[in-house]
Amino acid sequence: MSFGDFLYSNLVQFWELTGFANAQFGNFVMLAVGLFFIWLAIKKNFEPMLLVPIGFGILIGNIPFNTEAGLEIGIYEEGSVLNILYSGVSAGWYPPLIFLGIGAMTDFSALIANPKLMLIGAAAQFGIFGAYMVALAIGFSPDQAGAIAIIGGADGPTAIFLSSKLAPNLMGAIAVSAYSYMALVPVIQPPIMRLFTTKNERLIKMKPARAVSQNEKIIFPIVGLLLTCFVVPTGIPLLGMLFFGNLLRECGVTNRLAKTASNALTDIVTILLGMTVGASTQASQFLTPQTIFIFFLGFMAFIIASSSGVLFVKLFNLVLPKDKKINPLIGNAGVSAVPMSARISNNLGLEYDPSNYLLMHAMGPNVAGVIGSAVAAGVLLGFLA
Amino acid sequence: MKKILTVLAVAVAAVAAGPQADAQSRKALRINEVMVDNESSVVDEYGRRTAWIELFNSNFAPLEISSVYLTNDSTDHRRYPVPLGDVNTKIPKRQHVLFYADGEPTLGTFHTSFTLTPGQDNWIGIYDADGLTLIDEVLVPGDLQPGQSYARAHDGSGEWMVRTGSSDSYITPSSANVINDTNNKIEAFAERDKNGFAMTLMAMGIVFSALLLLCLSFYAIGKIGAAISKMNKMRAHGVDTADTASHSAVSHDSGEEIAAIAMALYEHFNAHDTESTVLTINKVKRAYSPWSSKIYGLREVPSHHKAK
Repeated sequence: MSFGDFLYSNLVQFWELTGFANAQFGNFVMLAVGLFFIWLAIKKNFEPMLLVPIGFGILIGNIPFNTEAGLEIGIYEEGSVLNILYSGVSAGWYPPLIFLGIGAMTDFSALIANPKLMLIGAAAQFGIFGAYMVALAIGFSPDQAGAIAIIGGADGPTAIFLSSKLAPNLMGAIAVSAYSYMALVPVIQPPIMRLFTTKNERLIKMKPARAVSQNEKIIFPIVGLLLTCFVVPTGIPLLGMLFFGNLLRECGVTNRLAKTASNALTDIVTILLGMTVGASTQASQFLTPQTIFIFFLGFMAFIIASSSGVLFVKLFNLVLPKDKKINPLIGNAGVSAVPMSARISNNLGLEYDPSNYLLMHAMGPNVAGVIGSAVAAGVLLGFLA
Repeated sequence: MKKILTVLAVAVAAVAAGPQADAQSRKALRINEVMVDNESSVVDEYGRRTAWIELFNSNFAPLEISSVYLTNDSTDHRRYPVPLGDVNTKIPKRQHVLFYADGEPTLGTFHTSFTLTPGQDNWIGIYDADGLTLIDEVLVPGDLQPGQSYARAHDGSGEWMVRTGSSDSYITPSSANVINDTNNKIEAFAERDKNGFAMTLMAMGIVFSALLLLCLSFYAIGKIGAAISKMNKMRAHGVDTADTASHSAVSHDSGEEIAAIAMALYEHFNAHDTESTVLTINKVKRAYSPWSSKIYGLREVPSHHKAK
C-alpha cells in the first residue's frame, strides 16, 4: 500500500465515522426540534430551566454517528458516559430526588390552612384517567395508556418515573411531551378557565387563609406520608421523598440539608434529568407515529385536567356556604405544574379584579396536585406493573 | 447523658435487629419443585440424570444462600451445607437454582451429600446457617411415578401438585412453575376494561380517598391545634376555662388590634420621628478582592539593560 493509499483509506474510514456520513433526515428534524426548544426557553422564557437542558440534550442525542462502530458514545449503548447518566432516568431514581427538592421548596401552609383545597388537586387528576380512556380507544395497551396518561398530571418527574416502569420504550416521547405542555401551561389553561367560568365567578373573593402554626407544618409531612403511602404504597418513592424534603424544610433543625435539597441537589438532578431525557430522543426511537399520538394525548390530558379542576370547584361551590365559596379560577391549579398554574390563576384573577389576589389560594390545589399526581402514579403502577 | 444513652440504646437495638433482618430475607428461600426419579428430565453437568431439588428466591432482591443447610433427615439439620465462596450461590431476585440430590458433594456446589429414594416419602428441609431455624420443608409423596415432579402451583407459593410432564402439567427445572408470556394484570385490563372506565372509577376513587383522608386529618389537626393554643393563651392570662366572658376577651387579640394599640402608645408617648441633624460618617470596610487589585493591573515593566 502506497503512502497515498494509506492516507486515503484512513480518511475514508474517518469520514464514515462523521456525522455527515451517518446523517439521516430524522436527525435534522430532531435537531430542529431541539433548537426550537432552546429558542422557546431563551426568547419566550418558557420554563427555561427545563427546556434549555432538554433542548440541548436533543441536540446531543441526535448528532448522527456510526452506531455499528462500537464507540460507546450513544445514550443507549451500555457503558457509555451518557448511558451511565441516563440510568437515573431508566432506573427511575432522578424523579424521587427531584421530589425531595420539591418537598424542600414547597410551603404547604395554604393547603394546611384550607384542607378542602386538596380535593381540587384530586379532581384535576381526572385528566390522567380521561387521557387513559382516550389512549385505550386509540389502540394503546393498558400499560402504555397508563404511562402516556400520566402526562395529565403535569408533573415531569412523575411522568418519567411511571413511564420508566410501565412503558420504557415510550419514555422519551412522554417526558418531552410532559415538559413541553408544562412549558405551555400559560397558553393552554387561560382559555379553558375563561370558557368554564362566568364573570361573577371570576370575581369571587376568598377569605385570607388562617395562620398555620409551626407544629402543624411539621406534622403535615409525617401524617401526609403515613396516610397516602398506607393507601398507595407504590407511591413511596415519590411521596416518601416529597414529604421527607418538606420535613427537612419545616422542622427547623436541618436548614443546611433543606437548602442543599432545594438548591444544589435539585439543580444538579434537573440538569442531568433534562439533558438525558433530551438525549434519549434519538430520531430512530422518537420519530414514530406513536409519538404524534402521545403528543395528542398529552394535550388532551392537560385540557381535561384543567377543565375538571375548574368544573369541580363550580360543583363544590354548590354545597359550600355563601361566605366560603371558592373562586373557580384556582381550579386549573389542581394540575401539579408548580407554581406556574397557580400564577396563572392569580394573573387571571387580577385581570378581572385588580384587588383579587388568588396566588396563595391557588397554591393549595397546586401542591395538592403534586401529591395527587404521585398518588395517581402509584395507583397506575399498582394496577398495571 | 440521658440523650447519649438513648442514642446508644437505639444503636444497640438496630445492631441486634441486623442478623434478624438477614434471617428474614433468607426466609424467602423456598423449595419450589422436586423430582425424585429423573427419567427424562434435565441432566447435570456430567450428563447424568439424578434426582433434583429446585430452590426459589421469592425475594425481590438477590439472596446469598451459602451456609444454609439442605437435608432429607429431620434429625440431622446440617446434612448438606451449601458451600461458601461460589458466586453461583447468590440467587438473583425471583430466580431459581437446581441442586442434584446424587450423594456426591465432591462433584460441585450443587450436588448434595444425600439422595432421594423413589417409591417412598421423602422429606426435604432447608435450615438457616444456625442449623436450627427451619426456612422451608416439603414432604414429597412416595407414589410419584418416574419422570413426575412435585411442584408448587406458583413460584414460591400455592399448593403442591404432581406434575406429569404433559403440556398442561409441565415440569420446569430452573424456571418458573407457571410460564407467563404476558402480564396477567394487563391482559385482564385489556380484556375486561376495554374503555378504561373501571380503571378511572377505581383510581379516581383511590386518589380522592387518599386526599380526603389527608383533608379530614388536617381539619382535625387544625381544630386540635387551635384548641390547644386557646387553652395555652387562657392559661397564660390566668383565666379559668369556665369563665366565658374572659374567654372571648382572650381570643380577641388579633393582629389588627395589637397594631392599633401599638400605634396609640406611640402617639401617646409623642415619639415623633425628628431628625437629629447630626451627620455621622462611618468608615466602610471593603473586603479585599484580588480581582480589582491594582497590583495585577499595574505590572512593573521589565527593565532593559544594554550590553556594555
